[in-house]
Amino acid sequence: MLTSRSFVKKTRKGGVMKVVREHYLRDDIWCGSAACTKCPIDKPVLEKEPVPEVENTLCSYPHYLLLDTNVVLHQVDILEDKAIKNVILLQTVQKEVKHRSLPSYKRIRDLIANETKRFYVFTNEHHRDTYIEIEPKESPNDFNDRAIRKSLAWYDEHFKDTPIKIVLLTNDIDNREKARNEGRVAYTVNEYVKAMEGRPELMDRLAQIETKERERKANDSDITAPGGRNVLYPEHLSSYEINAGIKQGRYKKGTFKASRENFREGYVSVQGMEKMVFIKGLANQNRAVQGDIVAVEMFAESQWTAPSTVIAEDKGSKEDVLDEDTDNSHIGPKKGAVPTCRIVGIIQRNWRPFCGVIMPAAVKGGTKHLFMAAERLIPKIRIETQQYETLAGNRIIVSIDSWPRDSRYPLGHFVRNLGAIGDKDTENEVLLLEHDVPHLPFSEAVLSFLPKLPWTITKEDETVREDLRHVDICSVDPPGCTDIDDALHYKPLENGNAEVGVHIADVSHFIKPGNALDTEACSRGTTVYLVDRRIDMVPDLLSSNLCSLRGGVERFAFSTLWEMTPEAEIVNVRFTKSIIKSRAAYTYEQAQNKIDDKSQNDALAIGLRGLLKMAKILKQKRTDNGALTLASSEIRFSMDSETHDPIEVERKVMRETNSMVEEFMLLANVSVAQRIRQEFPQSACLRRHPVPPLSNFEPIIKVALTRGFELQVDSGKALADSLDKANIPSIPFFNQLLRMMTTRCMTQALYFSSGMLPEDEYLHFGLASPIYTHFTSPIRRYSDVIVHRMLAVAISADACFPELLDKAKIQEICDNLNYRHRMAQYAGRASVDLHTQVGMYSSLPV
Amino acid sequence: MAGLELLSDEGFRLDGRRPSELRKIRLRLGVFDQADGSAYIEQGNTKALATVYGPHEVLGGKGKPLHDKVIINCQYSMATFSTNERKNRPQGDRKSTEMSLHLQRTFEATIQTHLYPRSQIDIFVQILQADGGNYCACVNAATLAIINAGIPMKDYVCACSSGYVNNTPLTDVSYLEESQGGPVVTVAMLPKSEQIALFKMDNRLHVDHLEQVLEVASKGCKDMYAVMNAAVKEHVSRMAKSMECS
Amino acid sequence: MAAHSDHVKHHNRICVPGEHLGLESEYHTGPGTYRRNGSIYASLAGHLCSRTEVETELPALTVLQQEIQITVPRQKSLVTCKVVSITSKFCRCDILSVESVPLTETFRGMIRKEDIRATEKDKVEVYKSFRPGDIVLARVLSLGDAQSYLLTTAENELGVVLAKSEAGVPMVPTSWCEMTCPKTHDKQLRKVAKVQPHYIAYAS
Repeated sequence: MLTSRSFVKKTRKGGVMKVVREHYLRDDIWCGSAACTKCPIDKPVLEKEPVPEVENTLCSYPHYLLLDTNVVLHQVDILEDKAIKNVILLQTVQKEVKHRSLPSYKRIRDLIANETKRFYVFTNEHHRDTYIEIEPKESPNDFNDRAIRKSLAWYDEHFKDTPIKIVLLTNDIDNREKARNEGRVAYTVNEYVKAMEGRPELMDRLAQIETKERERKANDSDITAPGGRNVLYPEHLSSYEINAGIKQGRYKKGTFKASRENFREGYVSVQGMEKMVFIKGLANQNRAVQGDIVAVEMFAESQWTAPSTVIAEDKGSKEDVLDEDTDNSHIGPKKGAVPTCRIVGIIQRNWRPFCGVIMPAAVKGGTKHLFMAAERLIPKIRIETQQYETLAGNRIIVSIDSWPRDSRYPLGHFVRNLGAIGDKDTENEVLLLEHDVPHLPFSEAVLSFLPKLPWTITKEDETVREDLRHVDICSVDPPGCTDIDDALHYKPLENGNAEVGVHIADVSHFIKPGNALDTEACSRGTTVYLVDRRIDMVPDLLSSNLCSLRGGVERFAFSTLWEMTPEAEIVNVRFTKSIIKSRAAYTYEQAQNKIDDKSQNDALAIGLRGLLKMAKILKQKRTDNGALTLASSEIRFSMDSETHDPIEVERKVMRETNSMVEEFMLLANVSVAQRIRQEFPQSACLRRHPVPPLSNFEPIIKVALTRGFELQVDSGKALADSLDKANIPSIPFFNQLLRMMTTRCMTQALYFSSGMLPEDEYLHFGLASPIYTHFTSPIRRYSDVIVHRMLAVAISADACFPELLDKAKIQEICDNLNYRHRMAQYAGRASVDLHTQVGMYSSLPV
Repeated sequence: MAGLELLSDEGFRLDGRRPSELRKIRLRLGVFDQADGSAYIEQGNTKALATVYGPHEVLGGKGKPLHDKVIINCQYSMATFSTNERKNRPQGDRKSTEMSLHLQRTFEATIQTHLYPRSQIDIFVQILQADGGNYCACVNAATLAIINAGIPMKDYVCACSSGYVNNTPLTDVSYLEESQGGPVVTVAMLPKSEQIALFKMDNRLHVDHLEQVLEVASKGCKDMYAVMNAAVKEHVSRMAKSMECS
Repeated sequence: MAAHSDHVKHHNRICVPGEHLGLESEYHTGPGTYRRNGSIYASLAGHLCSRTEVETELPALTVLQQEIQITVPRQKSLVTCKVVSITSKFCRCDILSVESVPLTETFRGMIRKEDIRATEKDKVEVYKSFRPGDIVLARVLSLGDAQSYLLTTAENELGVVLAKSEAGVPMVPTSWCEMTCPKTHDKQLRKVAKVQPHYIAYAS
């Protein structure tokens, strides 16, 4: 079955390392078409009679599409439309896309997984007839193009006896011409889409690259060409020049950050430099967009300038002039001058789809419009659209495609219409997009990994899990909570001690490492709570059903069981995968009532009282250790159950039961952290809260001093104590205010991989715990899923896999989680703000 | 996940193999005249050379002759040029001592040791190029060399490794696949009787998957056996012919 | 032994170690085969043949390798050796072949003074029996100490089969304890073997 010739592939990396790898070529890779009689395939992907959904005037015959890399990279928006079907995707293309843009790669993988799209991946590099070797002096790009044409030729030959033709879609004119010269059918995406009958709106979604490229080729000049426009920006250096420059120290690498005050100014945070480097003028910014990784050239000190004091907004009055104010004609360093630089090249673009509004065209009825992003730091984007009338007054999404030198603004294309400005759904959508919260419905590929319903507990499950169904477990959560991930129990033991159990939803049972569901959850990182909406990290079936520890149903749990003395000393701790049946799902209020109601003496009431008693002792211990009690202004909206409109705003009330649950979660987290750290000394996923630098506290110390209190900030304990003392009886709010301000002084708590830091930096400052992690909310945090997996390995309940042991990989995941976590917080806050504003607006007397 | 995709969604490994395919095997018996038996094997880019001397009198102060069976002395080594970096490898470092011991155990299980009391058999294996599955290549080469030397043994010993990626067991893992840190199970077995002579595991593997992985590894051993067997038969008949001619 | 092998039947089949050859009820195990669970398996790679020595007995299955057979000296096996050195107490020799199988590497053997002949042991002198360079037919007495095999020539059929005179020509036995050089007619003392043809069938 295998007739392989062994090939040797040499690659050089880094210095002069020679890597020899085998490369097998096969003759059992099939074309993937149902129309083919030569290949013995059991499950053809491509249709036998590929009749396109939309009539195409260019290719009216049945055909399959073969895509070039640039098409996949830039035109995914088009590919996702249902008009495009029966597509052959080459391995070469897929590889290059993965290398160049992970988001595009993910989207294309989703398309492949979607069966109705009929995307077939042809492993051309391992096919005997389509494998090619790189020729001397051939650029990787040319090589890939040649590989694509080789496969195209193979497919053409393969289908020559059938009416089916293969059409190459490419945006590379050169490649198109070469393919045509070889007698193949090749079009650009523009040509192809234009020829689609009845779908003119698709044209809008085309990326603008090709047209510009052609224009530029027509001009074929870097300076002003007759009929062309002014070249406004200096040329970017090639990546080769940049790399060489960085090595020599001529250039520096950094992240571009636009100034909030003045669109002409920006900063670059250069690696290894404490202060941000200043950039003045659009020409010096040289087409960098917020967040891009750029190469900069530092100016000599004599050329340094100071940030201007004017707030300037881009009115875009003159299109072909960049920096009209030529007031930087001064000689010698200005007062207050800071290190200044200019951007010479872009290392990596940080372009993403932007939300915003469309502006009217300069000429009425024209198709060229400017787009203004909601994010102020993003420059205006020039787009072309036929449907201005429908888009005006709506929030729309636009992607940047390119930024040629002769264009004042970057060029983009219309992606999606979100809806009318001011509409609640639209604004939510904007909010999510702006905070980079992945909120699209879960793709088919992801959903395919969900367990099939009806889901039942099998005999096998019962043998590997501890049966805790007889234990009186209950959960305590905020009202309206559907993703219950923790439940508790308390059972007095005969020796006077008590067994306390924390049961966490066993999410990792349903999410197996590495599959699409896992990857998606990992990239989402956390569930995002908006005021009227929840964006789940895992599909609803898991979050609100199978994993949710609802009352009265049997669920899988990951249990932590302690034996504790009445003084809340831990005698021993044990972790186990279990099956539980929660007796009741209480709200904080219900639980509180049950505890307070002396007439109730059932097992749950006793348990809750026992838990509360323990929790108080634990809390006291923690506070004695120097844990901080900080306040934040949390508000809640009561929702109208029908419209999901907020009715009233209230501040969150803290009940004893809140802190009771919290206390045991903390305890569980700490216990688990110790255990996984023991098991994975190098790669445990932990959470730390660095000690904030003293300078952070300066403002609050000043504030406290004005009221005559001296805050001690040299240790957590001292801070906690002095905060406790700072009380003005006449102003009951003062202490809380101080605590809120202290929160602001804190550094962010972060996830990290234990191997990346020395042990003394594991500290969680806020909780005064030497080691901490997140274990208790796997439904809504991915970090907990990882921790679950690690713990499962530690107790030999599950298999280990390489990623768990790779400290760099864990750190990579942690970095993403930190980012998502932060963004989710911002998005949550922004949502509260939005609703507060909307609420205030509507309650105003008209 | 980032990093190398060891198994593509289309079911191909990095080098183009499917999960259950061995690498290309090339082998030769009797490459040296000097030794009593010798063999050379290539499994993909892993190349190993084995030579067998003996049985001969027990020499040197190393071991005392055993009155009821032969001493099997194995020595494993890696050539300086066998890996990416040229590296001087001292004799008797921990890794090669361990490997030698493993080899010795493996072959004690299959050589009919009682036939040659008071004597010694030396098996020297050297890895000329390392690209994953070194132990397997050594065992396979040594088996061939022993056959070449005409030392009676119960059965062949074939070795094969297998890994586990994305819920799919992979046969005959290459260096690239090994180095990703996943579990690797190495099995040396007597293919006819399906007895396992040696079982080695690197990294953790959940017990639920063990059976699957083991199955794939033993399938690999049997495939290996088929190839080796054909080569041995061919070698024997060729030798017979050349004897007749002379 | 090999000389009166009666019916050798070549099966024209190549077998490899571990290969199933036949049942124990039908065959004996010969060289290159072994027994397990009532069956006979090959332990070498080579050609299969069965050999019937005595009509009434079962044929023995053998796997023949084209190359050298491998064996080691064992107790009571007949060995051919070459004398290396002599002392007043014993003579040292290298074992060259066991039974009919030549060895690739020599094993060390030793013939003590008292093992040289069966009678009049106390009158034996080593130098009157062997000289370095002699080819001696001997029998393994025991596996001896760690150093070498203990051999004996205390049988009529055992002893020197080939010795060269100072002139470099093979000497001719004249009695059981004397040999003569055909060239110089020099007489030398030896423990001469009464050579049996089948003992030296291979020695040529």
